[in-house]
Amino acid sequence: MTRTVEQRLDATFAALADPTRRSIVARLAVGDLTVNELAEPFDLSLPGISKHLKVLERSGLISRRREAQFRPCHLERPALDAAVDWIEANRRLWSERFDRLDDHLRTLQAPPNGDLP
Amino acid sequence: MTEHVLHVTRTFDAPRHLVFSCMTEPEHLTHFWGPIGTSAPLDQITADARPGGAFRTVMVNDADGSAYPTSARYLEVSAPERLSWIEDHSGMTVTATFTDLGDDRTQVDIEQINVPAQMMDPAAQAGFLTSLDRFAAHLARLTGAQR
Repeated sequence: MTRTVEQRLDATFAALADPTRRSIVARLAVGDLTVNELAEPFDLSLPGISKHLKVLERSGLISRRREAQFRPCHLERPALDAAVDWIEANRRLWSERFDRLDDHLRTLQAPPNGDLP
Repeated sequence: MTEHVLHVTRTFDAPRHLVFSCMTEPEHLTHFWGPIGTSAPLDQITADARPGGAFRTVMVNDADGSAYPTSARYLEVSAPERLSWIEDHSGMTVTATFTDLGDDRTQVDIEQINVPAQMMDPAAQAGFLTSLDRFAAHLARLTGAQR
């Protein structure tokens, strides 16, 4: 199934909208972990953690190896990078817009004879 | 289930009504809407600033002339405090809040949300406290060496 960039980003942002899932992603950013290792710091049952992992897996943010006995979770960098890059691109867009708006506002408010105060 | 994806803030040395006008009138938007290296031609801006009104712009790349049209609808136009619109294609909602800081200074806060505001329940709105852009910066720090 092919999804558009927007649909992929929607799924990524929806998955990241939950604090527990953000925490899971942040921990996996450092290295692969098993479900048991991921469950440790949370006051959550294994089925509870599994539910969060399924959402992250469906969004493409994490993958789990089929063959390994403990099925460690792996962060999929490209999916996360796409989201981070999108945020950075939009931050830059607004930053550049605001730089130019600042210039425009100065021009609008400059004394009409052009003399500096 | 949602919260803002991006929060950008900036303070301008100008009165609030003027900053608000700049964000809603084509004659002003043409001066700054396109980021560096692009322009936003006046004759291709539509800003029918009322709820349901069209907000269309085209950003033209100065180097090669390629054009990036965007099309949105205004959701809220409350001069001079708040302005929001939803992009037709992505469903992204952008809210701009204008705060009068006194002494002719105005703070503008931009929030981008990836789910239409009218679809959010109060519980979801309460989730706005943490922003994904801060999380993204945190992750970039954590994993900077690996990128």
